[in-house]
Parts: sequence; C-alpha cells; structure tokens
Amino acid sequence: MSELLAPFFEASVRLGVPLALAALGETITERSGVINIGLEGSIIAGAFAGALGALAWGAPGGAIAGLMAGGVAAAVFAFFALGLGADQIITGTAVTIGGLGLTAAAYETRFGPTGTALSLPTLDPLPVPLLAELPLLGRALFAQPVTAYAAYLLAPVLWWYLQRTAWGLELRAVGEEPCAAEAAGVAVVRTRVFATLFGGAMGGLAGVHLSLAHTATFAEGMSAGRGFIALAVVVLGRWNPLGVVAAALLFGAASALQFSLQALGLNLPYQLFLALPYLLALLALAGWVGRTRAPAALGQPWPAGR
Amino acid sequence: MSRTRSASRTEPEAELIELRDVHQRFGAVAALRGAGLSLRVGEVHALLGENGAGKSTLLRVLAGLQAPDRGELSVRGRVVHLHTPRDAWDEGIGLVHQHFTLVPRLTVLENLALGVRGPSGGWRGGMRLPLEHVAQRAREVAAATGLAIRPNEVVERLSVGDRQRVEILKVLLREPRVVALDEPTAVLAPAEIERLLALLRQLAASGRTVLIVAHKLDEVLSVADRVTVLRAGRTVLEAERASVNARLLADAMLGQEAREAYDNAPVLGRGSVVGGNHRVQARPGHTECIACLERVEVWPAGEAAAAEDPGAEISLDVHRGEIVGVAGVEGNGQRELALVLSGRRAPVRGRAVLPPDPAFIPQDRSREALARDFDLAENFALALHRQGPWRHGPLLRWSALRTTSEKLLTRYRVLAEGTHALARTLSGGNQQRVVIARELEAGHDLLVAENPTRGLDLAASAFVHGELARLREGGGIGIVLLSTDLDEVLTLADRVFVMVRGRLLEVPAAERTRSGVGELMLSASAAADEGVEKEAWPGDA
Repeated sequence: MSELLAPFFEASVRLGVPLALAALGETITERSGVINIGLEGSIIAGAFAGALGALAWGAPGGAIAGLMAGGVAAAVFAFFALGLGADQIITGTAVTIGGLGLTAAAYETRFGPTGTALSLPTLDPLPVPLLAELPLLGRALFAQPVTAYAAYLLAPVLWWYLQRTAWGLELRAVGEEPCAAEAAGVAVVRTRVFATLFGGAMGGLAGVHLSLAHTATFAEGMSAGRGFIALAVVVLGRWNPLGVVAAALLFGAASALQFSLQALGLNLPYQLFLALPYLLALLALAGWVGRTRAPAALGQPWPAGR
Repeated sequence: MSRTRSASRTEPEAELIELRDVHQRFGAVAALRGAGLSLRVGEVHALLGENGAGKSTLLRVLAGLQAPDRGELSVRGRVVHLHTPRDAWDEGIGLVHQHFTLVPRLTVLENLALGVRGPSGGWRGGMRLPLEHVAQRAREVAAATGLAIRPNEVVERLSVGDRQRVEILKVLLREPRVVALDEPTAVLAPAEIERLLALLRQLAASGRTVLIVAHKLDEVLSVADRVTVLRAGRTVLEAERASVNARLLADAMLGQEAREAYDNAPVLGRGSVVGGNHRVQARPGHTECIACLERVEVWPAGEAAAAEDPGAEISLDVHRGEIVGVAGVEGNGQRELALVLSGRRAPVRGRAVLPPDPAFIPQDRSREALARDFDLAENFALALHRQGPWRHGPLLRWSALRTTSEKLLTRYRVLAEGTHALARTLSGGNQQRVVIARELEAGHDLLVAENPTRGLDLAASAFVHGELARLREGGGIGIVLLSTDLDEVLTLADRVFVMVRGRLLEVPAAERTRSGVGELMLSASAAADEGVEKEAWPGDA
C-alpha cells in the first residue's frame, strides 16, 4: 500500500503547492475587498519571466523575476480596476487573456515556433534532513522545492498578519466596510493596491513553481486554469490562510488522483480524472463548504458609486 | 432642567472652532452656499435644519471627510485645512456618524483598535495590534462616562443603541476637544435618548465641546446651549438657547410661509402626543380581515437573533379601514415582519394569509422600491404592467403608461421634469411620493409601510401622513405602519403594537403615550442588558 500512497501524496503536494501560493496571495487580495481574476495572468507571467530569468541568471534569479512579473500583471489590474474604477471582473479577465496571449507571443518571438522544449535550470527539491525520512508523508512534505516551503511558512505568517497586526486589521476592515475604514483614517485604495500587488507576486511565484520546479520548461498556456482553481481554493479555505493551504492540498490530491487511478489500470477515460479538480471547484463554489461569508465589500469599487 | 453653567460662558470668549462662508457643490446641486458655524469650549451646540439643508455636508467638512469648494476653518483663531479624517483628529475634532462606521464582523474591541497605532509608530506600530492598550483606555473612558459596552461581542450582534455607544466610545478614545454627532437620536428609544442627552451634557461639563445635529426641536431645546440653523445651505440663525423657542426655530428652518403651510396640513400632531385616540375601539371587529398571521416566526434560522430568542412568535389580524401601528427600536424584527407581510419573504415558521400582491413602501425606497436609472414611467410600469389597462398581450401600452404616470405625478405633486426624468434625479421626498403613488394606484387590499417618512422633511412627512389617513378613511384597505418614529405611530395608528426581540406586544389604550410605549420597548431588552457589565475586558486577571 505504501508504495502506492507515498507517490500519491508526493504528487498531491507537488500539484497543490502552486495552487496554495496563488490562493494565499488571492486570499490577501480578497480580504481587502478586491477580487482579482487576473490571477491566471500573474501565474503565466511568473512562469514565463521565471523561465527567462533562469536562463539569464540561474534558477534563483528566475524565481525573483517571476515574482516581479506576477506583481506587474497585478499592477496592470490595479491601475484599471482600483485606479480608474473599472469593473473588477472585466479587468481581471482582460489581464488573464492578455497575460496568456503576450507570453505565448513573446515565447514564439524569443524561442521560435518549433516548440522545442526549453531546458531550464531548476529549483531542485531540498530534502529536509530526518523529516524527509519519515515514512509515507516524509518525502511528500519535506523533499520539495523551496516554493513548497514558502507556502508552508507563509500560511501561518499571513494568518498572524491578518489576525494579530494593526495592518491586518486595517486590511480586513477595508474589505468589509471601506467607509468605516476610511473614517478610521485608513487609506482604502492604497491598502487595496498593496493587497493586489502582493496577490499578483504570489501568483508569479506559483508560475515559477510550474516552470522551474514542476516541469523545468515553459509551454504556452501552462498555467492551465490554475488561477481560476485558486479562486475556488480561496472559497473552500474560507478566506483563512491556514484553511486555504489545506484546501489547496485537497485540490492537489484531486489532481494527483488521476495518476494513481491510471496506475491502478481502471478502464475509464483519463479525461474524467482530469476533470476532477474542476468538479471539486464547482462543488466548493456551490457552497458545499457550508455558509461561508465572503468579505462584505468584495468586488465593490471604491469610492462607492463611481 | 437644572444645569451648571461655568462663569466663563457669560463672558465673551474666543471661538474654539469657526467655519466661515463654506460653499460646497455636488454636480448641479449646491449643498452649502455660505454656511457658517462657531463652537465654544464646553458648550452643547445644536445644528438644525431640514433635510437637504446641508447639515451633514457641513459636518463632513468639519470632520475632514470633504474639502469644501470655498470657505475657511479656523481652530483657536488659526486657519487650518483638513483633507483627511486624520487631519481633523489632529485638530481634536471627532465625528460620530449617522450611519455607524463600525465593521459588523469585527468585535467591539477590534473596531475600537481600528486605525489606532501603538505608541511606537511606523513599521513597529503596524506590526503590533495594540488590543490591550486600547482595552485599557476604553475601560477608563467607559468608567468615566458610563458607556457600558461588551468588548468581545461581534458588532453585528449588537443592538442599534449599543452600536451607537461603541461609536461614541471610539471617538472619545481619541480624546477629542470637539465631539460632533450626526442625528444621534434618530435610532434610539425614548429612554435611550435621555441617556444620550445626559451623556452629552456630561461631556460638555468636562470641558469638551459637543456639536449635535438633530431635527427634533424638543430634544434640541432640552440639551443645547446654543443653536445654529441652516436653511438651503446657508446659516440663517445663530443664537443662545435662552433667546429662542420652538416656533422661532421652526420658522428659521422652514421659512415662515412653509411653516404656516405645514401647520395647516391635514394631520394633527407633531411634537408630543397625548394618549388616547378616539378611533381606538371603533374600527376593528365589524370589518373584514384581509391579512392574517398565525404564530409566525420571523427570525431566519441560524441567525444570532433566532438563537437568542427561540420561540418568538407573532399573531396578527389586519382589517380593512384600520392602521395597525408597529413601533420599536430598530433591529427587533420589524424589517423581517415587513418582508413577510408584504409577501417578499416566507415566514420562517407559522402561517401567513395575505391578499394577492400587497402594496409595500419599503424603508430604503431608492434601492428597494425604485430602479434608480429607470425613468418615472418605467418605474410606474414595474408595478402596473401586469394589469389590463396598461398591457396588450405581451406588449406594454406605453402611451397609456405615460398618461397614467403624468396623472399620478400631478395628483401626488411630484416635483420632476416629466415622466422621462430618471428616478435618481428626484429628491428623497419626491421619490417617496412616486412610490406611494405607484403602490396605491395598483389598487391593493393591504399596504405595508416601513418608516415611510424617514429622511423626509416636514412638508413631505405631512403629505405622507395625510395620504395614510385618507386611505384609512376610504375604508377599502388595511394598513400596517412599521416605524421607529414613535410619534408617527401614536398619531396615526388605530391599534399600537411594539416589536421587541421578534415578538409583537399590543399596547393597551391607557398606556398609549411616549413614556408608556418607551417602557414597553425597553422592558424586554433590559434582561439582556444585565449581562453587560459582567463580561471581562481582555487584560483583566
């Protein structure tokens, strides 16, 4: 059994980490009252810039480039949606489509249309001594690339930030009741811009995980809808960083299940397993998680009535 | 009322705050056209005016929420410019908002801590959430002022009166020299109003300056040292309390002609109401029952209120030709009852027998009753389009609808530029006239009116009251009037009920006075308040 389960858990974590990173960022964004469905655009931008950066400066340089590219994509969103008060859904969709298109075009320009797979410097797994030797879950949790450890670490840090710091309180107030926050002297737009940029940078890091840790290459559209799944992960995790990481691992497990089930030799079309995370996303959004309450001002422009 | 006046007040004294010649324009509307205000140390100052006179705008200017187009603000003779609320705090000006600026899902303590930075500012101030520090300060202020609050309760579970106390405490924590309150009595029960007014006197006695915006003259007269009246964006009167009376103030607020027209309006009472109503016994009984609630529960399951008051049931019969009045402090289930009676929501439990399609005048007319970006004919069509004269098969008869709309606009004296005017361009009073006209034109058996005069000026309120009275006399329709304005209910209703924590209590004819009903309102919630003091503050050992 364990020879079947250990690879399954490892795949779950490996597939769950990019979701966790993107969803943690989006959690902060959404707690400030902004719904950035341009997250997918940040992920693909991060994956591409990560690839370019890795070729130029090696894997760590690629990671930083990807982080910044995700932030830049979110900055485009923030400029239109928060600066000019454009509709958040439409702006986010534009950033996603634009991000997918631009990276595909830039990839072709830079590397030619043949689609020869790039070979990139990678973020290799860093096994934690001792912990990685634990049976069953050891390798799954503790023989992962640095991006996974970033996700583990950020979950409690972000929880602490939201619940225990003055900044976190202000951010939550902005997402719930911007009028009240403004009256208390909080700069609403500035807080939201910060939260959006942070979310985008985290999306970029998720992209870095895809191109530098997960595959060691870049391919057009390799984000493959993870930005949207991450939005569902945020809901399933109830806008709580700790819950969000757990939800991301659950989605990772749903994705990993396809490999395990195929390995079992079940006579079902593999596309069915591919659809599993998306079914889970639908269930999550349909309120399967019980009555979750989104931040009250989520998606609402500020100042109101603009 | 006995009151200690400091000796300094009789001497000429430097103004603490002075606003001069303030102008503020919003698009085509001039909200302020030369308003002025001066505040002295240790006084309670009342700012009066009709709706739309510019009171709230002037307060926003004072609180740094609105930088005026023109005008000057000086603090102790020094001209200052306030661009943000923080600028106003730095000058010692704190505002208690009319619509509370608390975050419902945060606790009381978190709300108090919002925007407060610990002694160390900057990076370290942002990292640390000074809950203990804030709790300590809040406890001191609460002890000094008698503002009892529950620090760990989530704000959305508090009553309106409790929220107001939190809001005031929040402002006091910043140690303001000036406490400004925007219509603080509008949401309170009579006994709570007295408590608030006493608190305001106490704050003034401790050397702070209190500015209260209000529209009820008797409250103002009982608490204020000086009065400023705004009319149409201008300051028209500034006077010592001793030199004015209610009539003078009403003249200043309305302009003399308008006040006289109001005095002659068809409805009887404003101000205080005496108990007893000649219609009390006569109406119900021999008339037909048109709406009937049997053991109805209104609290949605799972909400906090339902858990706190299990088994709160309502039984009520409404007859043609009567006005059933429901008074109560906001948040006791009136909203839910109105939704059930108007057929918008099914009762949580119990049986509601209602006539088809009851007419409904909701409290928030601009959001719930009118489509703001539709023109007036389209808004009329929303309610009328199902009926014969205005439709032909699947098509609407727009010409008939326009004709009807024009007729209604004339009959109800709506000030609008024709039926093509967008609903959003109308003032609150005129929007209310449109809603009433539409709801009555459709010819219903039951009318549910929820705070129908909230936010309306005196003339528009008198019109609404007149219409309700006229309908009752017509005898064809039963009316349920749910209102937090006790005077309104006492004046108009044939039977008076009080809504307390999801229950409906009938007020006996003998107790139908402000104080009688007020006692009933508070009696049931008193039990809940007893727990207030016992809850520990964080940091208590």
